[in-house]
Amino acid sequence: MKAETTRHTRRRLRTAGAVALALGMVGVMPAVAAQDPGRDVIDKKCASCHLEDGKLTRIPEIRKSPEGWDMTVVRMGIWHKVELSAEERRAVVKYLADRQGLAPAEAAPFRFLTERRPNMQDTPPDDEMAQMCGRCHSYGRVALQRRDEAEWRKLMHTHLGQFPSAEYSALGRDRNWWEIARDKMPGRLAEMYPKNTDAWRNWSGAKHKPADGRWIVAGERPGWGAYTGTMTATAKGKDRYEVSYELHFGPGNTVRGKGESLVYTGYEWRGTAQLGNEHTQSIFALSEDGARMSGRWFLRKSEEIGATFEAVRADKAAKNVPVAITPHMLRAGETATVTVAGAGLDAKLDFGPGVEVVEWLGKSAEQLKLRVKVAADAAPGLRKVAVGGRESDRTVAVYRQIDSVRVEPAFGVARVGGGTNPPVTAQFDAVAFLNGADGQPGTDDDVRLGSVPATWSTEPFDERAKHEEDLKFAGHIEPHGQFLPSFAGPNPARRGLNNVGNLSVVATVADGGRSLNGKGQLVVTVQRWNPTPLR
Amino acid sequence: MKRLRALNHKAHLIEQAATDGHREEVQLMSSVVGCTTTFDPGWEVDAFGGLASLCQPMEADLYGCTDPCWWPAQLADSLNTARDWTDGKNSALRDWRELQTLFPGD
Repeated sequence: MKAETTRHTRRRLRTAGAVALALGMVGVMPAVAAQDPGRDVIDKKCASCHLEDGKLTRIPEIRKSPEGWDMTVVRMGIWHKVELSAEERRAVVKYLADRQGLAPAEAAPFRFLTERRPNMQDTPPDDEMAQMCGRCHSYGRVALQRRDEAEWRKLMHTHLGQFPSAEYSALGRDRNWWEIARDKMPGRLAEMYPKNTDAWRNWSGAKHKPADGRWIVAGERPGWGAYTGTMTATAKGKDRYEVSYELHFGPGNTVRGKGESLVYTGYEWRGTAQLGNEHTQSIFALSEDGARMSGRWFLRKSEEIGATFEAVRADKAAKNVPVAITPHMLRAGETATVTVAGAGLDAKLDFGPGVEVVEWLGKSAEQLKLRVKVAADAAPGLRKVAVGGRESDRTVAVYRQIDSVRVEPAFGVARVGGGTNPPVTAQFDAVAFLNGADGQPGTDDDVRLGSVPATWSTEPFDERAKHEEDLKFAGHIEPHGQFLPSFAGPNPARRGLNNVGNLSVVATVADGGRSLNGKGQLVVTVQRWNPTPLR
Repeated sequence: MKRLRALNHKAHLIEQAATDGHREEVQLMSSVVGCTTTFDPGWEVDAFGGLASLCQPMEADLYGCTDPCWWPAQLADSLNTARDWTDGKNSALRDWRELQTLFPGD
């Protein structure tokens, strides 16, 4: 009897074990050990729809960036009324991005989109991809996902069901849109962006260096100029950090701040910080070896206003790693004070022929400050600077005179603001160039010298803009090149228009006794009501 | 037009155009639901990199875009995604300030 009971008990236990194993795979049974809170969300919220024959559906078949997963999770809330707290939302995005994210190399081509750089235009590989995907949203939004063919096809069905206008709007109704979307695109996309890749296999199987420690940082904030400084990250749990910043924009303009960050997928740094009196957000990527970081930080409520960011880790392993050399432009025949910021720096610099170090003003492992004399006959152009006897990837540009000035971005967009939509400003930069070997401005061999101070003005872009008096209504440009758009809503004074406008943005740059102009286009347009992280 | 009386500026223009012999154009214009759904001019920038071809002012045709799901990446679409987006905001020209952005902050 006892033996039989034991046998039955064993069988039950075996059965229970098998069930637990099966359910453990799909995660609907609470695990004995404390489970990841993100997994909890999947089990308790997602699985109520995404479970079929004991297996999760859809979710395991996709890889995305943290923003991509966040948009998916939010969409589930909007479309299917899944209610998640802010904490649950963060947890499930972290869980999914860590286990089903993108390898650094897969995310690299579209970092400009992830970093929310304003006024960027992505380039789909061909007309078909541009017309089928990129006519409504950025192409990068597609390219930052990985699926197999069947799963890409399901995405096509989702589009048809949710956004049927894709089939009958322009570039949809002129072709057999649904046949192309259903039969052709999934295969093409799966070939370009498959779920299983060596890059992901290698990255997800490797250990990654944590981000804690001291970093030497540098970047440029259009309208403010270049900065160097330090960032210190202190670990506060798995992939979480407390962060302090000290950024030097120039004499008398030091910005200090504190914040926190979370690293997804082993390298995707997402942070918030109060820098001076500004609330900022950071989107950085750690390099695969964990020695560098790069990306962009920007104002939380005005994503278009921000700065580039580069950092090198200041640890014992760092040896002569410069992160910035300022100023970038050195005029032939003059002397200049140059600062090199970096990690493990030796006071041994070589700027190439014709640029001589005449005085050391400061020497430390994180900053070298010196006076250089540039010979009148020093060869103009870019030159890599050797630090500690080793050629670095940092450059300075020697020039005699500026040959041309370009306004960047060449085509900018600002948006009128009002109601629930803050205005979107447009920041312009005047960038100096040398003509290069062909002696002609505006050609591919032009040498980019760097940003230069400018006087800014705006003009009507064309006759229509002149006739509609866009200049008067669309907004105004500040002395540092930032265009502040006007308010939203129909303007009774404009005969059926709101305060949109089509303007030319003109930068006037003084170079010695000469004056040079550069011109860009600015479209001041209407607001949008769907401010997704990936547009 | 015998039983209809023009009340606003646009209606007067249509009436005038019909009187001037542009009846075909008037019929075409009056047969469509919205500006955007007919001409697909773009949301923020037109095909020529400017504004001249866009519906102006945007607010005049905003609901003509949201109802047929015309710019779902830029706007709420009241076909599927945000069916109640315009509830209680019957005039886009008057109520546009009350329209909420879709994507929640983190």
